[in-house]
Amino acid sequence: MTITLSGVSKTFGDFTAVHPLDLTIPEGSFFALLGASGCGKTTTLRMIAGLEEPTSGSILLGEEDITRLPPHERPVNTVFQNYALFPHLDVKENVAFGLRRRGVKSVSKQVAEILDLVQLGELSRRKPLQLSGGQQQRVALARALINRPRVLLLDEPLGALDLKLRRQMQLELKRIQVEVGITFVHVTHDQEEAMTMADRVAVMYGGKVEQLGPPAELYEHPRSTFVANFLGTSNLFEAEIVFREAGRREGASGAGAGNGEGTGSGRAKGSGEGTVVAGAKGTGKGKGVGEAKGIAEGKDVGEGEAEASAAAAGRASGEVSHAGQDSSSGASVGGELQVKVPGGDDLLRLPLDRCAAGETEAGGKVLIGVRPEKITLAHTDDAGSVPEGRNRLTGRITDASYLGVSLQYVVETSACPELTVYEQNIERDTRLVPGEQVVLHWRPAHTFALDAAQDVAAGEEAL
Amino acid sequence: MTAVAPVTPSAPPPPPSNTLPGDGEGVRGRRARRRLTPYWLLLPAGLWLAVFFVAPLVYQASTSVQSGSLEEGFRVTWQFSHYTDALSTYGEHFLRSFAYAASATVLCLVIGYPLAYMIAFRAGRWRNLLLVMVIAPFFTSFLIRTLAWKTILSDGGPVVGALSALHVLDVTSWLGLTGSERVLATPLAVVCGLTYNFLPFMILPLYSSLERIDTALHEAARDLYAKPVTTFRKVTFPLSLPGVVAGTLLTFIPASGDYINAQLLGSPNEQMVGNAIQKQFLNVLDYPTAAAMSFLLMALILIMVSVYMRKAGTEELV
Repeated sequence: MTITLSGVSKTFGDFTAVHPLDLTIPEGSFFALLGASGCGKTTTLRMIAGLEEPTSGSILLGEEDITRLPPHERPVNTVFQNYALFPHLDVKENVAFGLRRRGVKSVSKQVAEILDLVQLGELSRRKPLQLSGGQQQRVALARALINRPRVLLLDEPLGALDLKLRRQMQLELKRIQVEVGITFVHVTHDQEEAMTMADRVAVMYGGKVEQLGPPAELYEHPRSTFVANFLGTSNLFEAEIVFREAGRREGASGAGAGNGEGTGSGRAKGSGEGTVVAGAKGTGKGKGVGEAKGIAEGKDVGEGEAEASAAAAGRASGEVSHAGQDSSSGASVGGELQVKVPGGDDLLRLPLDRCAAGETEAGGKVLIGVRPEKITLAHTDDAGSVPEGRNRLTGRITDASYLGVSLQYVVETSACPELTVYEQNIERDTRLVPGEQVVLHWRPAHTFALDAAQDVAAGEEAL
Repeated sequence: MTAVAPVTPSAPPPPPSNTLPGDGEGVRGRRARRRLTPYWLLLPAGLWLAVFFVAPLVYQASTSVQSGSLEEGFRVTWQFSHYTDALSTYGEHFLRSFAYAASATVLCLVIGYPLAYMIAFRAGRWRNLLLVMVIAPFFTSFLIRTLAWKTILSDGGPVVGALSALHVLDVTSWLGLTGSERVLATPLAVVCGLTYNFLPFMILPLYSSLERIDTALHEAARDLYAKPVTTFRKVTFPLSLPGVVAGTLLTFIPASGDYINAQLLGSPNEQMVGNAIQKQFLNVLDYPTAAAMSFLLMALILIMVSVYMRKAGTEELV
């Protein structure tokens, strides 16, 4: 059954646990609410369960408004954190609790069936305290599932289990979900758990949904530093947009990007860095009408840097035409962003649709991100063998650790003092030891860009 | 009531030996000392109980089978007739004691449970203040508090006036609990006094067992289609049973041996067995009969408690 939350919020006194939230949880999906503690995920779940009344907004189950329905009247069941099994009842009575409350007289057959499903058949006479954590977890699951709820809510159901059991239960939960076909809403702080089980994940941070999508999309294409750091690890470093080509972010302001007959050279503002942009290549189609000057004006005029970039972009253009006015919605194809990192010789490129920053004008700052496992290391001596068209940075290895399945390097580059690289442990280049100069390279399509106006470390400490 | 866990002086693993080779004596001595630790811990309480509980009990047991008089002195004659005499003479007092104590216990439970529930689940930041208020009466002497009830229930006082105006006294006097115009010196007064005096002994164990219940269990029950009343009946109350058992015992046992309330708030018609024992010991000076009555009271309470504990099914309790 589809759950629709519209404008749902919850405040406790002065504290806003959940900001007005719109969320649609499709029928039959395994949906995860992921976030660090205090991000509002559990409160959201409890509002769906009816254990917490929303301060505003409404919750629909299918077509039915359940916002004000008490929990015992909702066709929704919960697997509680720490299970909340009734200690005075045995396994059978715990599992039968919901059926009995609804007046079902003969429960034995159903209880036996559901206990088989969770593989606990022989323990029905035990008391919860006589069970291991994993068994208690299964009882809690069976106790909820036996009622055939239209939505099953799971509040950190695996949090109390050790790692090995957790892995096993993750797969089992997934199996059961497929088997019973009920919508599962799963709250967790464990990004790996969310990615393993869920087919859609909503990452929550500070009472808001930061990003929502399938696990692969969140991982490959994070749209905020929190998501980039909270799901796996990311290398994030600041860079300056040098050139923007085409893309779907067209519009009045977009038209002005990066084109013109600028003649400026060098930066007006003295960070002492050399002029750039020579590498800008035009592959765009259509007529460019933008003017470098326009950009400079569009931005804070007082800032010399903008002017310089505009000028630089201008110099690069000439033959570059700009597809900013391409009105077709598929304009993202071929769109590209080129950025420059401090001290970097080459420009880094990335597809425009992998840029989540609002500011994509030349001269704007963005945070460039790339996952450690996407990067390949090459020794400086082999720099020539790096294929064309890849993003590259140079640096010096400061640390190398052997992790078995992979090798982890920390590389000091001008862009980022501690860039992490994972290399698969297949063919180790024995020259790659601390102190060596290396070239890091990766596909532009593995690069992403984020808005620079956020905390680079957001989500890191949450792990 | 909580069962006393048997003390098993299991030998702890040998400590890392830091003694010189050949110094086996020192290690063994230390180990032996450790094995004795539980007994050392038991010593103070054991001594205390031996001197002030076991010895008087034995002495009293022997007194109960003595005969003689104050002038001639008492000798052990194994005369068990004190027991049968006491039962036939004071059977009514025994019955009355247990009836009053049981009524007070039930009243304590009815009054105390909602309060304990409220303090445990709903009091929030007022919790500690309320708990202090529950035990605050202990700061005054038992006697003074009971005397205060004498004033509260005094004839023509506001309580009696109000009860009379509301025709409550008509009903209670018809039931034989009060007089038609007075409360003092009636069974109701004694039961009220007992209830008041032993209420904290009911509330505190109830509170502690309620407070231990994980509120997630309430939520789980509600999530599993239990209405609030059903949640209480099927989850909260069963889980609070240890507190109910402890509270009722802590109320019933001392209440059935109490004599202050009957003496101050009752008339000769409300005398409990405690009053009779007191009279035998201090007025009649018939020590053997008094001792026999004390033992009878103890035995009857033990029987009732063990039957009750079996009914309550303590092994079902968590």
